[in-house]
Amino acid sequence: MRQSKIGLHTFMAVPALVLFTLFFLLPLAQGIGMSFTDWDGLRTPNFVGLQNFFNFFKDTRALNDIKTTVLFALGSASLLNLVGLVYALIMDGKFRGKGLARVIIYLPAVISPLIMGYIWYFLLQPGRGFLSIAIKQLGHSEGLTNWMNTYCLQMLILVLVNVWQYTGMAMVIYLAGLQGIPKELYESAKIDGAGYGGQLRYVTLPLLLPSIRVNIVTNIIGSLAVFDVIMALTDGGPGYATESLSIYIMRMCYGAKTGYSTAVAMIMFLIILVPVVISMRLTRERK
Amino acid sequence: MRKHIMIFLITLCLLVSCMAGCGLSYNSNDTSGNVSGTPNEGNTKSDKVKLKFFTGKIETIDIINEIINDFNASQNRITVEQEYQKDASNIIKIKFASADIPDIMTTYEQGFVDDGKFLDLSNCSQWWDRLLPSMKESCTDVKTGKQYRVCTNMTMAGFFYNKDIFSGLNLETANTWDEFTSNLETIKEQMPDVTPWFIFGKEAWHLGHLIEFIPHGYIKQSLGAVEAKKAMLNNDKAKLNFGAPDGAMAVFAQNMIDLKNKGYINSDVLTAVSDNCVQDFASGKAAMLSNGMWVLSSLLEANPDMENKIGFAPYPAYMPGSKPVVLSAEDSGYSISATTPYQEECIAFLDFLFLADNQKKYAEGCKAPSAFKDVTAEWAPAAIVSEVESALKNAVNIGFTNEKPAGFSGDDMGRMLQDVLVGSYTAESFASAYEKTWDEGMK
Repeated sequence: MRQSKIGLHTFMAVPALVLFTLFFLLPLAQGIGMSFTDWDGLRTPNFVGLQNFFNFFKDTRALNDIKTTVLFALGSASLLNLVGLVYALIMDGKFRGKGLARVIIYLPAVISPLIMGYIWYFLLQPGRGFLSIAIKQLGHSEGLTNWMNTYCLQMLILVLVNVWQYTGMAMVIYLAGLQGIPKELYESAKIDGAGYGGQLRYVTLPLLLPSIRVNIVTNIIGSLAVFDVIMALTDGGPGYATESLSIYIMRMCYGAKTGYSTAVAMIMFLIILVPVVISMRLTRERK
Repeated sequence: MRKHIMIFLITLCLLVSCMAGCGLSYNSNDTSGNVSGTPNEGNTKSDKVKLKFFTGKIETIDIINEIINDFNASQNRITVEQEYQKDASNIIKIKFASADIPDIMTTYEQGFVDDGKFLDLSNCSQWWDRLLPSMKESCTDVKTGKQYRVCTNMTMAGFFYNKDIFSGLNLETANTWDEFTSNLETIKEQMPDVTPWFIFGKEAWHLGHLIEFIPHGYIKQSLGAVEAKKAMLNNDKAKLNFGAPDGAMAVFAQNMIDLKNKGYINSDVLTAVSDNCVQDFASGKAAMLSNGMWVLSSLLEANPDMENKIGFAPYPAYMPGSKPVVLSAEDSGYSISATTPYQEECIAFLDFLFLADNQKKYAEGCKAPSAFKDVTAEWAPAAIVSEVESALKNAVNIGFTNEKPAGFSGDDMGRMLQDVLVGSYTAESFASAYEKTWDEGMK
């Protein structure tokens, strides 16, 4: 009977395994193979060994893209977690209009990031955007600073827009974690003389570790793979200043460097893997 | 046991439905479905045929659909379907790679020609005899001397200017760069609220066009159209001279830096988009803009009263001994896939599309003059047509550069100019970087 159940369960996993093989493993294997070729998307590819990988580390544009991507991910992932946690703690309390507030915070996450980026561009466009005009009408003749001329400001705007859009998602995960913490623990902590800070430190945060891990991992993956918001707000410019690695891969792929672009995709996979593994290990050890 | 059978059947259904659409479809007599590039040995004249027409030209979707409907109704064997993709020049690469090749397409690149993707149309004399000689030349592949596309229209690009502002300030259109900057200076001084030259530099292709029309234009006029194409294809560095500190690239970059520093172009050059430019020009807040004829419909839509206020002028000469240039290039080019089993049917459709009546409708719809000698179309208001004709007569006519290295698109060129405007490049370092990028693309 037990034997038959195992067989049945294995059999039921077949469709998922077939789909996983067809749409993930097979393209991944093809991608790995392609990364060792000079394929331009049209002609027959030639095997070039590790040349594409060596070329990547000599490519100043690619290295700048790594810097931009990592900066974006660092800023975005940390702010998303911080703001998401703060929102979750507030939303976990009791006040009127809590449901509406949750919806408002979560709402941006359901809008396409590309559309969101364009909306923000119309708000922030130097000299012409809504905010610029509003600031001018308040008496500042210069309006909004031309944030497109400064790399730091560009990165800050990109990070803030991304945080604004996805904070709701982080909040929901933290909120679920908070609601899973038994109230008795807080009561015990209170009896032991712990204030709000003590409860947060010794009860809430340790028990939120699984949520923190999920949020950190998903935010790092999402932020390192950033594409839409940059395309809409800066188009990776001026020049290639704010180009992310995902945008670089797409442009290389269509720019007659398909083999090279798959090699960069492999490198990006490793870049994403490292912080994810580290953060998972750290949170596991704490647990 | 029944439970197991049910699970097996459900699993099978799920797998089959997931795989639906993954396979290639073949022709059948009743449905006439066709996947291009799939040999169809059973195809006979009596079989119904479905042709795929692929385009990235948003402005012609409706007109082409109208013509396609007329064609489909005119006979009962061939059915044409139009597919539009915004990013057509990239999507077509995916289609080539996945062997889902359309039968007819408007996407054309030298690399596709070199790779034998297109059918040789050189023998289609019924079209070439009707086409303007200059347009036939533009459609001719320099490497092989053959034609792999037929361009039905022409497009022009130059400076659009506000005639009211120019006449109000007693300005004449410029023939030299000095005259040009003098005009910009006058506008800036006399009308401080007006942007002398509006550039929408967030859209890198627009800046790429400036490089294409001004420094590349100089190279084309000094070498001649065919020699310039050969020099670009062969990367003849002595003739192109991209990297020279006193060459066409460096001088152009320095001119742009000077214009920016003097405030002759809009201060938001790196963040402005095409719509901003159209709005400012149409409302009289900008005196000049550089663009092609395709912007006309947007300008007239933004301000229908502007019909008689829009002037058109060539790009002024900016290198010693050079002349003003204006783009007069091929537009709406149609190619047939080399692997389609329906070559005759494709030609039959293009024969219909190229009928004089259809081309008149097309030219007027997309506001581009026809390349056919027997088509007279009112493609723009008379005042603008007269301006364009005058510019074409008084300047060197240049074409688009189709011989750019693979991976160095107009967008990439424009990004380099963005870097100039943001201060990341000096004129010399820009010229040097441009040459290096060109060389790398040619390897």
